[in-house]
Amino acid sequence: MIIVTGSSKGLGLAICERLCSLGVDVFGLSRDISNSPFPSMSCDISSYNEVKKVVSTLKKENKEVSGLINAAGIASMNLAVTTPPNISQKIIETNLLGTIYCCQLIAPLMMRKKHGSIINFSTIATSLGLKGESVYIASKAGVEGFTRSFAREMADFNINVNCLAPGPIDTNLLKGITAKQINKIVSQQIIPKQFSPEAICDLVELLLDSKSSSISGQVLNVGGV
Amino acid sequence: MTEIRQAVNQLIIDVIEDKTIQVNDNTPLIGDGSVLDSMKLVELCLSLEDFAEEKGFEFDWTSGQAMSRSRSMFRTVDSLLTEFLSQMEVKK
Repeated sequence: MIIVTGSSKGLGLAICERLCSLGVDVFGLSRDISNSPFPSMSCDISSYNEVKKVVSTLKKENKEVSGLINAAGIASMNLAVTTPPNISQKIIETNLLGTIYCCQLIAPLMMRKKHGSIINFSTIATSLGLKGESVYIASKAGVEGFTRSFAREMADFNINVNCLAPGPIDTNLLKGITAKQINKIVSQQIIPKQFSPEAICDLVELLLDSKSSSISGQVLNVGGV
Repeated sequence: MTEIRQAVNQLIIDVIEDKTIQVNDNTPLIGDGSVLDSMKLVELCLSLEDFAEEKGFEFDWTSGQAMSRSRSMFRTVDSLLTEFLSQMEVKK
């Protein structure tokens, strides 16, 4: 079974749909799971206790977990000086702490089997240091650092941990960003084009596949920087 | 209870790589003089989880208290045994 956070919309949903189409057993985590077409559980990943409840449920149901995709995330495009503290806190709690909580609580389900793959999500904006995204970038830089270190901790258990850092993908996370702004970011990539959610799903498939078992602790900037 | 203590004790002995080490109730599992590295400690936790499941309860090693260095259940073999038995009593 592959656990996907942020499964109700955006990249998380696209990844779930792709995996389901491949016949993979998917389990979604999201705050809103109404109308979920695949098995899901309501969970606010920024709450350690809620993630713990999910793990407890999975254990009771004897679910065998072989992968975790931390796709849940929020964004707020603001200059640092105009970002209210509650927004900064929410971004850090969801993007960084949420990823950490899911990794530390769900990884033991894979450690027992000495097999698994964890995929975290950052953004190409972290490498580019884009203006107006400093708090969001701070949270994602944390995810990248966590990924590199956590990958070493998991290596003894044959669990690969990597991070995908896409550019502006066409999802609801981009609402409020103009085409001009998107083009400006895309033009800084080595491959200057806006990638689709399907391209990210291809990379997820690759990182879940045993063919990528030699890759761990890496941050893959989609489109290149 | 003695049987449980012996079984948990054996799980601890099983994960210690250096088989010449003599384990007693005061043997530290974390910090100075610890007989386990962090990875072995995790392996022990997973073994304890499995054992607890056999005994019909869920062993929680991820709480703040479990991970606190000063109050941790992993201070010594005895503190771990005590915590394991206590969780068994409460949750069963």
